[in-house]
Amino acid sequence: MTDSPLLTMRGIVKRFPGVLALGGVELEVRAGEVHCLLGQNGAGKSTLIKVLSASYQPDEGEILWEGEPVALTTPQASMDLGISTIYQELDLVDDLSVAENIFLGHELSRGGFSQRSETIRRTRELLARLGHSEIQPTRSVGRLSPAAQQIVSMARALSQDTRLLILDEPSAVLDQGEVDNLFRVIRDLTSEGVAIVYISHRLEEIRQIGDRITVLKDGSTVATGLAVDQTPTSELIKLMTGRSIEYVFPPRGEAVPADAEPVLDVSGLSLAGVFSDVDLQVRAGEIVGLAGLVGAGRSEIIETLYGARRATAGTVRVNGKELRRGSVPAAVKAGMGLCPEERKSQGLLLDQAVYSNITVSSMSRFSRLGLLDSRAERKRSTELTESLDVRPAGVDRLVRLLSGGNQQKVVLARWLLRECRVLLLDEPTRGVDVGARAEIYALVRSLADSGVAVVVVSSEVEEVLGLADRVLVVREGRVVHVGPSSDIDESRVLDLVMEGKVA
Amino acid sequence: MSEQSTSRGAEHVPDVGEVQNPVTPTRETITVERAGAESPSSGGLMSGPFGRNLGLVLALLLICAAGVVTAGDRFASIDNILTVLRFASALGVVAIGMTFVITGGGIDLSVGALVALCSVWATTFATQTMATDTHWTIMVFAALAVGAGAGLVNGLVIAYGKVVPFITTLAMLAAARGLAEIISERRTQIVTVDGFKDFFGADVLGVPLLVIIFALVSLGGWVLLNRTTFGRRTLAVGGNPEAARLAGINVNRHTVMLYVLVGVCCGLAALMLISRTTTGSSTHGYMWELDAIAAVVIGGTLLTGGRGTIVGTVVGVLIFATLGNVFTLNNQDTSTQAVAKGLIIVVAVLLQQRLARNATST
Amino acid sequence: MRLRTPFGRQQGRRLTGLLVGSVAVLTLAACTGSAEDAANDDDNGSDSAPAAAAGSNDEEGDQVTIGFSAPAADHGWMAAITNNVRDLAEEYPDIDLQVAEGTNDVNLQISQVETFINDKVDAIVLLPFDGAAMTPVALKAMEAGIPVINVDREFDDPNAARVTVLGDNYGMGVSAGQYVCEQAGGNEDVVVAEIAGIDSLPLTQDRSQGFEDALGECGLDVDARQAAEFTVESGEEVAANLLQAEKKIDFLWNHDDDQGVGVLAAIENAGRDEFTMIGGAGSANAMRAIQEDSGVLKATVIYPSTQGADGVKLARLLVQSKAMSDLVEVEVPRTVQLFAPVVTSENVDQYIDSAFES
Repeated sequence: MTDSPLLTMRGIVKRFPGVLALGGVELEVRAGEVHCLLGQNGAGKSTLIKVLSASYQPDEGEILWEGEPVALTTPQASMDLGISTIYQELDLVDDLSVAENIFLGHELSRGGFSQRSETIRRTRELLARLGHSEIQPTRSVGRLSPAAQQIVSMARALSQDTRLLILDEPSAVLDQGEVDNLFRVIRDLTSEGVAIVYISHRLEEIRQIGDRITVLKDGSTVATGLAVDQTPTSELIKLMTGRSIEYVFPPRGEAVPADAEPVLDVSGLSLAGVFSDVDLQVRAGEIVGLAGLVGAGRSEIIETLYGARRATAGTVRVNGKELRRGSVPAAVKAGMGLCPEERKSQGLLLDQAVYSNITVSSMSRFSRLGLLDSRAERKRSTELTESLDVRPAGVDRLVRLLSGGNQQKVVLARWLLRECRVLLLDEPTRGVDVGARAEIYALVRSLADSGVAVVVVSSEVEEVLGLADRVLVVREGRVVHVGPSSDIDESRVLDLVMEGKVA
Repeated sequence: MSEQSTSRGAEHVPDVGEVQNPVTPTRETITVERAGAESPSSGGLMSGPFGRNLGLVLALLLICAAGVVTAGDRFASIDNILTVLRFASALGVVAIGMTFVITGGGIDLSVGALVALCSVWATTFATQTMATDTHWTIMVFAALAVGAGAGLVNGLVIAYGKVVPFITTLAMLAAARGLAEIISERRTQIVTVDGFKDFFGADVLGVPLLVIIFALVSLGGWVLLNRTTFGRRTLAVGGNPEAARLAGINVNRHTVMLYVLVGVCCGLAALMLISRTTTGSSTHGYMWELDAIAAVVIGGTLLTGGRGTIVGTVVGVLIFATLGNVFTLNNQDTSTQAVAKGLIIVVAVLLQQRLARNATST
Repeated sequence: MRLRTPFGRQQGRRLTGLLVGSVAVLTLAACTGSAEDAANDDDNGSDSAPAAAAGSNDEEGDQVTIGFSAPAADHGWMAAITNNVRDLAEEYPDIDLQVAEGTNDVNLQISQVETFINDKVDAIVLLPFDGAAMTPVALKAMEAGIPVINVDREFDDPNAARVTVLGDNYGMGVSAGQYVCEQAGGNEDVVVAEIAGIDSLPLTQDRSQGFEDALGECGLDVDARQAAEFTVESGEEVAANLLQAEKKIDFLWNHDDDQGVGVLAAIENAGRDEFTMIGGAGSANAMRAIQEDSGVLKATVIYPSTQGADGVKLARLLVQSKAMSDLVEVEVPRTVQLFAPVVTSENVDQYIDSAFES
C-alpha cells in the first residue's frame, strides 16, 4: 500500500430530477488498499459506483487519477484507466460459456477468428488464480451457482488490466467458505497493487478485510479515510445512521408447546436430484430456520413445499389438509405465503405501484364481480405500509424506486394482508441495510407471536440462530440436524454444513 | 465473527423497544429518499401513462390540424369523421384485444387470419340457412364461438404446451387462413340474412352501430384493464410471470384467458367487417396483425409486457386511420404514404422510449 | 342466398358479351360528334393515345374529379394498372385524379371510397380487391349520384356500377389453348403443362378452365399442372420442380409473365429447350423475348393492364356527357369486355408499346 492516492474524488454532486443523489462526496483510494464504502441503502453508494464506471456523469466535482484530472465520459474511458466493477446484480450472459463471458467485448482473436484454445487456457489461469479451477470454462454460466457466477465476474474483471476493482456487496450470494476464498483473492490482488473499493452491509467482513473506511450518509461523505482497526463499530453505526442501532434480534416469546398441532406438516418431501426425504413440522407461533450452504437445497425445499416446484415424493399438509403437488394457487389458498430469494425477479412487480404489489395475492377481497375497488386497496395498503414503516411513504410509487429493505417490507405486507398461516421467508434480509434488518426481524417475530407458522432460510447462520426457535441443518439435500436453536451454536452449525458431522 | 453477531447478548442498544414493535414508525427518514418523493419522475401517476397519452393525443391533433389546413371542410366534415371512425372500428376492436395479450407478455400474429376464419364461418351456407330459419344472432354466435375456440387453442398450446406465442400464433395464422379457404372454397360468401344486415348496418342518432361497438369495446377494455382483477393479473403476468406465479396467480390459466379474449375480439371484428362488406371471405383481415400490433405499440403498450394502455391503443388506431384519410384527401402517392407511415411508427416508438427512459432513470 | 366468386361471373360474361372491343379500339376515340361538344376551337390532339385522331372527345371539357382505388401494387401487372391510370390522367388537363393507397385490405379500400363519396368526386374508378366485398360501398356511391366504373373484378350487384370494364380470364385460357391446338397440328400425343397463378383466386380458376376447354376441342388435355404465386421466386421454384417431374414437354402455358421471369430462369438452369412456352398477361419482357425469338417463349396472351386507364377515360366521357365516338350509341356502354389476343413474333410489334414493364 502506498500513500499516494490512485483515485481522488472531490465534491462530487449528482442530481436527478427532484433528487440530490450525491451532495458532495469525497473519496480517496490508494493503490493496494481495501477501501470500504459504508452507508445505508439509499445513502448514495450505488450512484457513486455508477459515476466511477461512467454510467452517470457527475454534475459537479472533480476526479483525479494518479493526481491528474480525468473525465470519465464513457464506460470505455473508465475501463481504459483500469476501473472494473462487479455489481450486486451480476451482468453475465446466461447462455454463453464461462470463457465467452470472461472475454466478452475483448475476445481473443486473430484475423477475425476467435482463438478458442487460447481463450480457454487463459480462462483456466484466471479461475485458478481465483482458487476455483473446478469451474469448467466451457460450461454455460446460467448453469452455475450464484457464487460461481460471481467468480466468473471477477475473472472477467481480472482479464483486463484492472487497477481499481469495485465490489458491490460481493458476499451477499456467498456462504462462509466462499467468503474466505474471496478474501484470499482480495489479498492477492492488493499485494499486486490493485486497489479495491469494497461495499458491504456486513461490518464483520469489513473488520476482516478492510484497510480504511469512507462512510456515506444521505448522499454525502460523513467520514473518510478512517482506519478500520482504530474505529469502533459503535462509531461506524453512529456515522451511518445518525444514531446507535445494533444488529439485533427480538427476544423470543414463550415457547410453543411441543404437543401443539403443527400448522405446516411436511413429510418425506423429495425432489429428485436435489433433496430427499425432508420432514418438517411448524406449529402456530413458531419460527423454524433452515441453515445450510448455498446449493445445499434450502431454497429448493421451501419452493417445493410452496408448490413452485413439483415434488417427486412426499406430502405437504396445512392444518391437516393435504396440498396438491406443484400448485402455487393451492398453497396460497391453503394459507401459505412465500417471500422469495430473488426479490426483484421472483417477488415483485417492479413497474407496478406499491399497493398493487401488496394486494396482488388478495385481490378477491377488494373486488366485487371482478371490479376492483382501488380506493379500498390503497387505503388498506397505506395502513400496512405505515405500520411497517415503508419509506418513502406513498402507495402509488413504483416498487422499483424503493430500497431493498423497503421492497422486502412490501412483499411481507402482501402476506400480512393475506393473513397467511404459513409464511416462508427465503433470505429475508439479503441486500437490506442494518436498520431495516432489525425491523424485519421484529416484524417476523411479531407475526409468529400472532400465530403464524414461519420458515426462514438464510445463508447467515447467525440470522437463522438468532431468529428461529428451531433449526434444521441441510447438507447436500438432506436434513442432518433438527433441534431447538438454543441447543446449537454457530460453530457447530458450520461444522454440520461443511463436514456433515460435529467436529 | 465480529462483536455484531452476538447481538442477542447483553450489550443492547437503548432503542430495542422501538424495533420490537414495527407498528410504531420510529426510524429517521433517510433524506435522499424523501427527496425522491418530490421527484416528478420517480413514479406517481402524472408522469407515466397520462404524460404518454397526452403526447399521443397531441400527435393525433397535429394530424387533424394538418388535415384541416390541407383539406379544409373536406376533412372536418361529419361525414369524413364518420368515415375515419368506421374504418377504425373493426381494426380497433382487434387492437384492443391485442393490447391485453401484449400487456400480458404475449403476442398474437393470428388475429387477421382469425377475422377471416370467423367471417367465413359465420357466412357459410349452413350458418346462413340456420340463421334464416331461426334467428340472425346464430351468425353472431358462430363468429364469437369460432374466435373463442381458436383463441383457446392458441392459449392452451402457449400456456401448457410451452410453445412461444410467436410460433404458436404464426402457425395459427397459416392454419386459420387455410381453414377459411377450405370452408369457403376460396369464394367470397355473400350475406343474405336481412336481420343481420339491418342490425349491424343501423345508425343510432346518426352514429353507425360499428362505431358504437368500437366505443363500447374501448370502454369495456379500459374498465377491464384498469379496474378489474383480470386487468391487474394481466399486468402482473406480463410484468413478471415468475413473481405473479409465486404470488399465487394461476399464470397458465390467465394466459389461456387472454388468448380467448383476443379471439372473441376477432370474432366481433369479423362481424363488423361482414356488415361493412356484406361478405365473409378468407382474404378478410389482410395484414391486420401488423396494423393492430403497430397501433398497440404506438399507443404506448410495452411490447415486452407489464404495461398497457387502452386509451393509447384507441388513439394509436385513430392516428393510423386519420393519417390514411388525410393522405387520401391530399391525393398522396401510394409509395409516399407507405414511407410516411413507416417513419411515423419509428418516430412514435422512439419518442415513447425516450419518455419511458426519463420515467425510470432515477 | 348465393355463393359466388368474388371477381365476377365468368360464364355469364362470356355468353352475354354486350360489347367486345379490343384494347386498341378502346384506346382510340375518333370523332363522331357527341351530344354536347361546343369546344371545337381547342385542338390539343398531341396528347392523344396511339391511333387516335384528334377529335372532340379528346378536347378539353369540364373539369372532372375522378377517385381511383386499386389493390396493392404487389406485382407488375397491378403496378402497371396504376401507372397507366396516372399517365393517362396527365394527358388530360381536365382530369383531376385522386389516387388512394393501394391496399389488399377491403376495410381500408371501403373507407377510401367513402372518402371519395364525402369529397363529392365526379366519378369513382374502382378495381376492388374483392368485388363482392366492395359492392355495398359502391352501391352507396351510386346512390349518392356518383357513377362508379368497376374495373377487372366484378361487383356482385349490377346496380353498383354504371360501367364495368373487364378483362377476360376465361378468354385468356381459351386463347392459349387454341394456340396450342394450332401448333400441335392435330397430334394428340403432345405433352401439355401448365403453371398457374395463385390457385385460390377465381381468376386463376377461370384461366385454367378456359385452357382446359379449348384444349378439349382438339382432343388435348393438361398433363401436368402446378400453381405458383405470381412472383418470380415462386415461378422459379414451381417450374424447377415441374421440369424435374416431366422429362419431356411439348407445350407449357404459364399464366403470368411476372412469375414467368422465374419460370424462364428455371428452364435455362435445367437446360431444357424441347418445348414451346406461352406466357400470360403480356409484359414487355415477355414481348421482347418473343420478338427476339431465340428462346422457348414463343407467345403470350394479353390481359390488358390498361383497363384501369380505360375506366378513367370512360369516367371522363361519362361525366362530360360524351359517348364512345366509334359507336352510334349516345351513352357510354354498361359493360366493356377486353379481348385477350395471342401475341406471337408475327404480331408483337403491334402490342409491344402497350405492354407493361414488370
